Amino acid sequence: MKSFLSFLTTLVVTKADLFAAEAGMPQLDPQYWASQAFWLILVFAILYISISKFYLPKIKDNLDNRENKIKEDLENAQKHREQSEKKLQEYETIVENAKKEVAKILLESKNNLNKEIQSKKQKIEKEIENEIIKAQKEIIEMKKNSITSIEIISKNIVSKIIENISGEKLNESSIKAVVEDISKKNIDRYL
Amino acid sequence: MASNPMQQFTVHKIGPEIKIAGVDLSFTNASLFMIISASLILLFLYLGSKERKIVPDKLQLIAEMSYNFVAKMISDTAGSKAKPYFPFIFSLFMFVLICNMVGMLPYSFTVTSHIIVTLIMALFIFIAVTVIGFIKHGFKYLSIFVPSGVPVVLLPLITIIEIISYLSRPVSLSVRLFANMMAGHTMLKVFGGFVVSLGILGGWLPLSFSVALTGLEILVAFLQAYVFAILTCIYLNDALNLHH
Repeated sequence: MKSFLSFLTTLVVTKADLFAAEAGMPQLDPQYWASQAFWLILVFAILYISISKFYLPKIKDNLDNRENKIKEDLENAQKHREQSEKKLQEYETIVENAKKEVAKILLESKNNLNKEIQSKKQKIEKEIENEIIKAQKEIIEMKKNSITSIEIISKNIVSKIIENISGEKLNESSIKAVVEDISKKNIDRYL
Repeated sequence: MASNPMQQFTVHKIGPEIKIAGVDLSFTNASLFMIISASLILLFLYLGSKERKIVPDKLQLIAEMSYNFVAKMISDTAGSKAKPYFPFIFSLFMFVLICNMVGMLPYSFTVTSHIIVTLIMALFIFIAVTVIGFIKHGFKYLSIFVPSGVPVVLLPLITIIEIISYLSRPVSLSVRLFANMMAGHTMLKVFGGFVVSLGILGGWLPLSFSVALTGLEILVAFLQAYVFAILTCIYLNDALNLHH
């Protein structure tokens, strides 16, 4: 850079020398130095005052505002995240408790149901047994009853048959005794 | 053919002659372009700070970027003590930058290509920095000329060199900007003249060179404004934080 600048300067100096005959460097002509100095100071003073009084504070304000806003937003975001994490944990504990309760309820109702089924079953079985016993008794009764009726019928038949064959009327009581005797001998076959 | 590449630097009067106490303070094209540059800066800053959006638009972003750029430059070179001088450095940087940039437009006038303008700015900075140094440190400020850790034999010589370098600050500061601007614009003019004189057949080479130079000059315009501002910061740093 430095060598390039010196090259430029020498070039400019030689070039300027070529034309210096008529004009030279206008920069070295002091005619308007005072004017340039005056206007420079005036313009720069105005520029400096308006920049330092109006624009820089505004820009600085704006930058500070943005920084504060970003910081605030970040803080809020952090807070919200913590809150949501807490909420999530709460939710998870609630779900876990609910699951536990459900399991408990399930177990309880299962047990209750089993118990109920068992007791009902027992009751019904007892009833059925009773019914069976009752029916058996009835059957036996009926069988017994039927035996007496059979005895009567067979006595009648026997007396009729004897009457028909011999033409003689036998003593009813003796017939009865014989029939009873026979039926007693064979009763085990039917009961 | 406007063959004189120095003609672009001539100052001429616009309007009536203004004379105050025998001194010619007429309004010139230089004054005009100073006012144009300052107005551009103020317009830019006005538009850039008008709407205070959280998410900035383009102009606001550029205004805030330039603010942060200068703020960072100051805090990096001169530390936090230089904060009160931030508006001045900012104005200085913007003024030099926009004057340089406006000067890049054809038919315009480059305010900073005049030694008197840069010299006044540099002298003001020099005097202000010296005054600030003496206010902050009293006569201890003179120790800036006596670097520590130098053998006693060399001390007088070093001190003389330091004094000379200190006193040449305004000269180097002003001549650097002025010479850069003048050299660049003269080069552009010279190559522009070559384009015209060589015509349609031979003019392409200087034309392409001229295009390249324009790009370089825009870079130099920014760079010189930056250098001017950062040197001011460095001088200010010497005055605020005496560390020799």
